Amino acid sequence: MVDSLLSARGLNKQFRSGDEPVPVLTDFSLQLGAGESLALTGRSGSGKSTLLNILCGLEKPDSGTVQVLGETFDARSTEAASKADARWGGLRRQQIGVVFQEANLMPALSLLDNVRFRARLAGQSEDDCRDWLERLGIGELADRFPDQVSGGQRQRASLAMVFAMKPALILADEPTGSLDRHTAEAVIGQLFELQARHDCGLILATHDPELATRCSQHLDLGHLPQT
Amino acid sequence: MRRWIFIWFAVVLAGCSEPQEESGFAGLAGIADNESGVPFLQPGPGERLSFPEDYGPHPQHRIEWWYLTANLKTEDGEPLGLQWTQFRQAIEPRPADAEPPDANNWPLEAAWMAHAAVSFDTRHYFAEKLARGDVGHAGARAEPIAVWLDDWQLEAEPGQSSWRLQVAADNWSYDLTLSITGKPVAHGDQGFSAKSADGEGSMYFSLVDLQIDGRVTLGDQTLDVSGKGWFDREWSSQFLKSGQQGWDWFALHLDSGDKLMAFQLREEDGGFRAGTWIPADGEPIALGADQLNLTSLTQGDGYPRAWRLEVPDFGLNLEVAAPAGDYRNTGLYPYWESPVSVSGSHDGVGYMELTGYGE
Amino acid sequence: MTLPAALFSHYRRHPLQLLALAAMIVLATMLWTGVHHLTSQARASLDQSESAVAERQQVARTDGSPVTVDDFVELRRAGLCVMPWLEVSEPEGGRVVGVDPLAAGCFQTPGGQESPWGGELNGRPFVDISEAAELAREQGSELSLLVSDDHSKGDLPPGYQLVPFSVGPATGELGDSFLLNLDALGILVLLITALLVRSVYLLGLAQRRDSFALLHRFGVPHGRVNRLLVVEILLLAAVCVLPGIWLGRWLAAGLGSGFGQALEGLFDQPLYAGQGGSWLVPLVTMMAVILVACLADFLRPIFRGLMGGNRRYGCLVLLVLIAGLALTVWVTDLLWLFIAVAMVFVAAGILAPRLIASLADWRSGHDRDLQARWRHRELAVLARRLALPLVALQFAMAMVLAVQALVTTFESTFDRWLAQRLEADYYVEVPESADAALALDWLAEQPGLSASGLWHRVIRGRATLPGGEDEEETRVDVFAIGPVGPLVTGWELFESAPQPWQRLQQGQGVMVNEQLARRQDIAVGQTVTVLFGSQSFELPVLAIYPDYGRPAGEILIHPSVLPAEFETGFQSLSVSPGNLSIEAVTDGLKGVWQVEALTVRDNRAIEELASAIFDQTFLLTRAMTTLTLILAAIALLMMGWVFFSTRAWYFRLLVVWGLSRRQATAQLVRLSVSLSGAIALLALPLGVWLTWVLVHRINPIAFGWSLPMAVYPRFWLELGVLSMLIGLSIAFLMSRQLKSPTVAPVNANALAGGER
Repeated sequence: MVDSLLSARGLNKQFRSGDEPVPVLTDFSLQLGAGESLALTGRSGSGKSTLLNILCGLEKPDSGTVQVLGETFDARSTEAASKADARWGGLRRQQIGVVFQEANLMPALSLLDNVRFRARLAGQSEDDCRDWLERLGIGELADRFPDQVSGGQRQRASLAMVFAMKPALILADEPTGSLDRHTAEAVIGQLFELQARHDCGLILATHDPELATRCSQHLDLGHLPQT
Repeated sequence: MRRWIFIWFAVVLAGCSEPQEESGFAGLAGIADNESGVPFLQPGPGERLSFPEDYGPHPQHRIEWWYLTANLKTEDGEPLGLQWTQFRQAIEPRPADAEPPDANNWPLEAAWMAHAAVSFDTRHYFAEKLARGDVGHAGARAEPIAVWLDDWQLEAEPGQSSWRLQVAADNWSYDLTLSITGKPVAHGDQGFSAKSADGEGSMYFSLVDLQIDGRVTLGDQTLDVSGKGWFDREWSSQFLKSGQQGWDWFALHLDSGDKLMAFQLREEDGGFRAGTWIPADGEPIALGADQLNLTSLTQGDGYPRAWRLEVPDFGLNLEVAAPAGDYRNTGLYPYWESPVSVSGSHDGVGYMELTGYGE
Repeated sequence: MTLPAALFSHYRRHPLQLLALAAMIVLATMLWTGVHHLTSQARASLDQSESAVAERQQVARTDGSPVTVDDFVELRRAGLCVMPWLEVSEPEGGRVVGVDPLAAGCFQTPGGQESPWGGELNGRPFVDISEAAELAREQGSELSLLVSDDHSKGDLPPGYQLVPFSVGPATGELGDSFLLNLDALGILVLLITALLVRSVYLLGLAQRRDSFALLHRFGVPHGRVNRLLVVEILLLAAVCVLPGIWLGRWLAAGLGSGFGQALEGLFDQPLYAGQGGSWLVPLVTMMAVILVACLADFLRPIFRGLMGGNRRYGCLVLLVLIAGLALTVWVTDLLWLFIAVAMVFVAAGILAPRLIASLADWRSGHDRDLQARWRHRELAVLARRLALPLVALQFAMAMVLAVQALVTTFESTFDRWLAQRLEADYYVEVPESADAALALDWLAEQPGLSASGLWHRVIRGRATLPGGEDEEETRVDVFAIGPVGPLVTGWELFESAPQPWQRLQQGQGVMVNEQLARRQDIAVGQTVTVLFGSQSFELPVLAIYPDYGRPAGEILIHPSVLPAEFETGFQSLSVSPGNLSIEAVTDGLKGVWQVEALTVRDNRAIEELASAIFDQTFLLTRAMTTLTLILAAIALLMMGWVFFSTRAWYFRLLVVWGLSRRQATAQLVRLSVSLSGAIALLALPLGVWLTWVLVHRINPIAFGWSLPMAVYPRFWLELGVLSMLIGLSIAFLMSRQLKSPTVAPVNANALAGGER
């Protein structure tokens, strides 16, 4: 394993359900190199989304360390929260692309403007934004708004948006969860293709065991954690 | 007794600072509840009447009244009922021998209210007047007796044993001569009239045998009238006990020459009853609650206009009823004041006052 | 599960939404009830004030000595309805009037209306006479004995006479005009209330769009769902209206006590809003408003059908706006004017959010910066989604602007109008037998008076303006003053020729009051013919002066113009004694005229008192509009918050995309402040226009005279700051939501949050 892109060590996270603590992650670790892909599977509530949120800094673990793209984040560190947030913000802005199951686009902007907005934030040129849409097969829809296109087309636009920022790491949380099988295949195919071509890391949370086999690593978070 | 309503009057006294919580419950007898440290006096058993002083005002008591009701007849023999009352409400108590405040300061230590009414031919005429005390246009004096508010006045006629009562309302008036016969009748315990089982009460006496002659003017109709009157004097510092909803009061002249005063203070579970039997010959006899039965004969809400009044000890079983008509005095504090006719074991006439029937 | 239960289950899952809905109905009801209550109070207060300053009669002693308590007692004992009136100057300025509410009982009018001093005395300037007497020990005081108008001279005991008594000049139509404007504003508040209710209703619908779609898929017809919704909102209204009314009454009544203390600082004066007023009026009104606000939904498709597409609809509304604006200029009928105002408001209400949205859309098309473009597009969405509460706020702001201008105008008009009628410090009546000329000579000789004092002579009488061929002649009041000095030259003139006062002094012309100028179509520079008795004079018009609320025509001239045969109705001297005391002046005049007593009126006292009496009315009106504004702002705040939270996911996307929370919040602030700022900006022209309509259209049409219109830019600024605060509050509430990591995107579609 060359050049660790991302490594997480000893992550612990628990939620509270009433007075009962519910452990979601217990002493969890993972490693991912550039160009590698990792599939996270497990039932709903097994902690896939929480883990993804932790790996991009949207949530904080109770303890543990995340090293990503040369930055180190320790849950127990004395660093001010705002400073850590700013470092995470910088990473998400320029290097970590996040794709959710849906609603990845600003409804008030056209598909093209969404892609350009994202590229601009990442400090990339807006020039090839239209190309990205075309490459994902929705070039002719560039000026439509998210509510004017189908769910599959929206997710393609989300991918265009993520790739336009030229990310080093992509975190995808059930990106095809709301699409029919046929469309899902097509979108996932494009995701893997682009990931391979651009040599970025990919962590994919999914229900689909078949999808998991297409990734270079597979982690099963198992069933609902026992209380 | 009656006219505990008067307390409400104090609340309305515009802008004056009489605390509202004093209304509607037993006064705190003898407790200094004002800045000057002078207490209101509270009558109690054993207290005696004294004449002629008690015809005059009692400035150290919270409330008092001079109250005349009369069952008269016109020259044609038609019945005519008539009322005149003057109330005094103290806001600040003052010892009887103290100097009154300077009128130039427009003091607000006491307020006066006068009511006058004539009931004739199913119609009821009522007027009300208000004044602040100690300024001069309203007041009272014991000897020779005088009670006045503006141009309404009751005054002893110089050199005679009679009084003159003059009242002029908007479109009606009366001018009467009251001939005083008989001694004052002291109610209750030699003048102390208990108003609850707990000992609250007032000082109360009456002149029950007034011969009245005079003239009543109603619009452009002038009537010469004559008949019998009943004059009450009463003072106290207590108002209705909490729980007492109102009262029913009767003063009756029976054709036999006997007279009867009876009242009840109504409560949720019964109430308090008392009265005085005044035989034509002999001394008045105070009646306790167990000697009196008082039952309304009227169904439904509103003022019960017919009653059964029984005093078994003296063979009385009376039906008391108001004539047709609406006899509410619709002033600041509405109440019912009507002449009544008496039938049953005895015949006669009289007056009935009812308060606290939800107006 | 029954259909109603299925519908309602939405609120079991989202109790906060139900709470917000209920709170809005309570709030709207509270607003209308509070305002209704305050309006009634302001009306009653005006009635009372007018009745308090109305001219009455008093009893004076024929021997000229002042009346005392003894006189009061004697008159009352004689059966007269007399009331003491003890005027006392307060140490810190101002005056109070001590009255005896018990003695005032007989002043009750036949209609059963209580005299202004009867019943409960609820504050200055009227206090119980014992309180005033207390003050009088330290301060100067004057006792008068008012007597009921039912009494005539013959009723008085010997030694007394009747003399006129007045606290201030009668307000005439000024008061009526104020009430009319108050009514117009009351209607506006009702409109605002309706908008708030409707926005609640729509909010409820939007929140449950998904549930409805689901029910429809299960085969429940739309009509059935709609009917159930109306039943539901009516039930909800029935539950919420009563507490709303209670709160509104509590709020309005509270202005007199606790809450009033807080406002006291704001207004520098205590407010007195009494109890009373029925429950029925607000109850029926609110239920009707709620019904209309809900049923409007069933009418809308019909309108849509009539009007065709969106663009055509927009054009039609624009036409309505233009027609309304044009009508307000042209109509001469009050009803049409009100209809025109309604047209303008409806059109403005429909257009304002569209205008903001279109402008924002247009701007976004020109933005090179994508964040700005996104912000402007979001702004357009917000303007459309929050249209109703926005318009409610716009109307409320416009109304507040208009009321502020109106009340200030009324107040200053009232002050000026008082000042104009009471120009000098004192009026000294010239006794019938006395020769005014002697007095003039004496006054002119007083060095103290010429150094620092001011005085002039006033002659009043009647004259005639002969009509033209088919016109009837006009009787006018004559108001002759001389010498013309600073007591009058400060008057504001509507129009004037050069050096009007000098020329008036020289007897070279006449001034006419506004009323006469309007009625006779007289302009400055014209010549009018005036008949004094049989003698006719041709006089050029030097100026037109305002004379608010006075329906009679009047001409102002110099006494030297009056011919010898002129019949003087009334003569007096207006004197401001300056360094001299008024006693010195009156003593001197008594000497000159050889009389024992003079009738002297202290105008400053009258002015102070009249102002104090009317202050309460103006105060209540301001309180009413403040209340409207506060509640409209709260409503927008609530709606804004509810709506923003449906878009919380998208604001959080900004954080996912790497913006710091502070940067995302900054975007939110810019967005919400632009929105509230835009609506304030749009409220401004509407408010100024409304002021103009009230002052320059409604008043002249209703009463034939107009008030001077003033605008108060400082107040605009205050409103601007307020709108900023509203925007900032929304942003603040939202930024708290950004913190939560659990915002789910699925929520976003539930409230059409996905709309662009």
